[in-house]
Amino acid sequence: MKIVKFLISLLITVLLIWALNKSWVVGGSRIPPLGKFLDPFHGFWQNIESKNHTLPVKLEIPGLKEPVTIVFDSIMIPHVFAQNDEDLYLAQGYVTALHRLWQMEFQTHAAAGRISELIGAGKDDAVLNYDRGQRRLGMVFAAENAFKRMEGDPLANMVANKYADGINAYIQSLSYKDLPLEYKLMDYAPEEWTPLKSALLLRSMAQTLNMGDKDMQMTNALALFGKEMVDLLYPDLEPMGDPIVDRTNRWGFEPLKIEDTPPALPAELIAISGLTTPDPTIGSNNWAVSGSKTKTGAPILCNDPHLNITLPSIWYAIQLHSPSANVMGVSLPGAPGVIIGFNDSIAWGVTNAQRDLVDWYKIKFENNQKEKYELDGVWKETKKVVEKITVRDREIYYDTVVYTHWGPVPYDENYRAENNRKHYAFRWIAHDESEELMTFYKLNRAKNHGDYMKALDHYSSPAQNFVFASVTGDIAMRIQGKFPVRRKGEGKFMLDGSKSASGPQAYIPFDQNVMDKNPERGFVSSANQYPADATYPYYINAVSYEAYRNRRINNILRASSAVTVTDMMKLQNDNYSIKAEEVLPFLLDHLDATGFNDVEKLGYEALKAWDYVYHADSESAPYFEAWWTNLFPLIWDEMRSDEVSLSYPTAWNTINLMKTKPDLEFYDIKSTPEKETLTGLIRASFSTGVNEVQQWKKDKGVSDKAKWADFKDTYIEHLTRTEALGFHVQHGGHANAVNAASRKHGPSWRMIVSVEKDGPKAFATYPGGQSGNPGSVHYSSMLNYWSTGKYFNLLFLQKPEDAGNKVNFTTTLNPK
Amino acid sequence: MRFLIQIAFIIVTAWIAEMFLPWWSIAIAAALVGFLYKTKANFLAGFIAIAMLWLIKALLIDMNAAVPLADKVAKILLVNSKPLLLVITAALGGLVGGFGALTGSVLRAK
Repeated sequence: MKIVKFLISLLITVLLIWALNKSWVVGGSRIPPLGKFLDPFHGFWQNIESKNHTLPVKLEIPGLKEPVTIVFDSIMIPHVFAQNDEDLYLAQGYVTALHRLWQMEFQTHAAAGRISELIGAGKDDAVLNYDRGQRRLGMVFAAENAFKRMEGDPLANMVANKYADGINAYIQSLSYKDLPLEYKLMDYAPEEWTPLKSALLLRSMAQTLNMGDKDMQMTNALALFGKEMVDLLYPDLEPMGDPIVDRTNRWGFEPLKIEDTPPALPAELIAISGLTTPDPTIGSNNWAVSGSKTKTGAPILCNDPHLNITLPSIWYAIQLHSPSANVMGVSLPGAPGVIIGFNDSIAWGVTNAQRDLVDWYKIKFENNQKEKYELDGVWKETKKVVEKITVRDREIYYDTVVYTHWGPVPYDENYRAENNRKHYAFRWIAHDESEELMTFYKLNRAKNHGDYMKALDHYSSPAQNFVFASVTGDIAMRIQGKFPVRRKGEGKFMLDGSKSASGPQAYIPFDQNVMDKNPERGFVSSANQYPADATYPYYINAVSYEAYRNRRINNILRASSAVTVTDMMKLQNDNYSIKAEEVLPFLLDHLDATGFNDVEKLGYEALKAWDYVYHADSESAPYFEAWWTNLFPLIWDEMRSDEVSLSYPTAWNTINLMKTKPDLEFYDIKSTPEKETLTGLIRASFSTGVNEVQQWKKDKGVSDKAKWADFKDTYIEHLTRTEALGFHVQHGGHANAVNAASRKHGPSWRMIVSVEKDGPKAFATYPGGQSGNPGSVHYSSMLNYWSTGKYFNLLFLQKPEDAGNKVNFTTTLNPK
Repeated sequence: MRFLIQIAFIIVTAWIAEMFLPWWSIAIAAALVGFLYKTKANFLAGFIAIAMLWLIKALLIDMNAAVPLADKVAKILLVNSKPLLLVITAALGGLVGGFGALTGSVLRAK
């Protein structure tokens, strides 16, 4: 009897522990293992940092040669002092993992199409399909190619391996209790870090910045609207302002000549719907002002890359000091070195180069086995790659991807099958071998313009506009990437994959890329606009070019003299919109103001009074925004289709057409029998917009005015989209303003460096904080400065002792 | 009195166990004390002991918290209130501790 009682009691205890030690999916969402997770000795409570959280004074790290000192300053930026470069990168890996392990692993899993492994296939297999998409675009293939080159270079190999060693030393020191919160929530554990993951991370950045294309959409537009209309709606060049570099008739080199017959125009409709073009709010600003225009006489360099503003923050600030380097700036968690920053001699920054780096080639397979495809009249063999996708709580999913010499064929009868029997191969420049790690290694140590140029010679992807300034007074801009020499019109539409001549015949020699040094105007700048003046001897095209921020920046810089750091802070936070200035008066002129109701009158008055500044408490901006976002899709209703994908013309060209083509057939709304006019659309969208603002006020319980910051609602979101781990902030700005803060995108790092002879003076902030732990003050400790337009004075040290009272705490890493 | 001593024993044993072993070691600790130092209300003693241990530990951490993470986790778990999350934490620990103590005690002859 006693034994029965014992067994029953034991069984209940064991079952209880089992149930509480296991993660369950309840109603479609995963709940963490409750016993394990809520245990205050090991569970999430251990992720709550105390107010005076520090690290141990000494830590023993395997793989180090000599001790490394890390000074953490008041905003938790580590200043790493190593006695050799091997230790430097090992320590960078260790300290980055310490603050950002979950994020760096999750981002590389996302890049490699491995999210199903962590969270399951998702609703309607959405997560699994995302993973399949990543594999089918050849993301791992791209990373492996980048890795091949990395492995072949002793220096790059050392840097990537030491960085990995540092991350792994940290991972090995962890038990469940120390795991980042997200691992505990989703109930999994970190795996070993490899240099291939660093390559994946950089390729994932390339995907964000350089994978945009609209070849299929343009091919469809050609079939539906004809060549003439395509040229009108999607011109190669929008003549709206300064290119990044203007050296009209002064390019001074003989361009490469290739056979320049333009490719034949395709005539087909591609039945894949819902293809998206890149988010036009992803962009960036950078500029450098020559000493001749600054108050101190030293150049000032500024950079604010605009990306998804997520948490844990995209960037991780760090100072790296060794006998060969002393550099500070931001790194990407997962990649060694500093990506944007400065050292004693120079400063540099990046914005995205707008260029078409993606091509689609129509493929003719021999039969539906897809073993062979036609090339130059013969059947060439394909390569089949079986992608193995582990899915949590389900069997493994196998997906076969067919590769041609052009690249993978992402869409077939097993994936986005609606296009049925037609196949297209995907060619992306970032599929090629590349060695950007060497660029950053060398930039981090560059002493002058010559070093900067040599560093960039290693760089092929993702193409960027590299701004530069040096203590010796040079300023420069170079658009660096691997760019195919294109025939006029090449790359806009689908290409013929059965002819090898359709492919790139040559690449622009790096010394013929668009670049400039010390231009007469006294500054260089880029904001994702058109790269070069019309006399640049190569054909250039891209998905779109920025039209407004670049002009605002150049207008201000041109008119400025005796520039100070404070002026530059003001410019980075400038909320003026040239788009609003160019379109709002036109819209108001064409608005029939008779018969307005009270709400419409209110909106009309607010709009008439607007100064085109998207400041946080503007009451006019919400009305304009609601008006424009309703008008634009009303004009281009033809571009929305369930059968095929099409792309919207740019905002700049839309405004241009509204002003110059009052009778464009597109003003007519297809789905109605009546014939609509532009004036009618303007009036209708005005009413819809005003009502939207009114409805928003009602929903939010706002009795007074709709303020722009509230209406826009800038939201810094956690990577898992967990609402409780994100922040809503009050912040002005707009994608078309220099302060390009939209709802979920914006300046992910604002940096200003005065490159002075007695040491750089640097100021910066970003929307988040150094720690990836939501239980740390440093998870969001820079957010308030970011949203109020303030900057931290960065501490740039020559030796650890110089930190003085700015030091939070110091930790020594000793060899184990 | 014996009941209170049993509770104290379980708290100390479980506290030591948690320093070296995973969370479920609380059941072993409670079972051990239940076996070696039996009372008439072993389940209750195990429940109260572990619930107190977990509650106090969680409260101490939360008192010094730099940011209100417990409130955020309460939202993530759809509990929406930190006090309730603390109660759930204590109750789950208590339940495991209670059954642990009970299991140990029934093995004992007297």
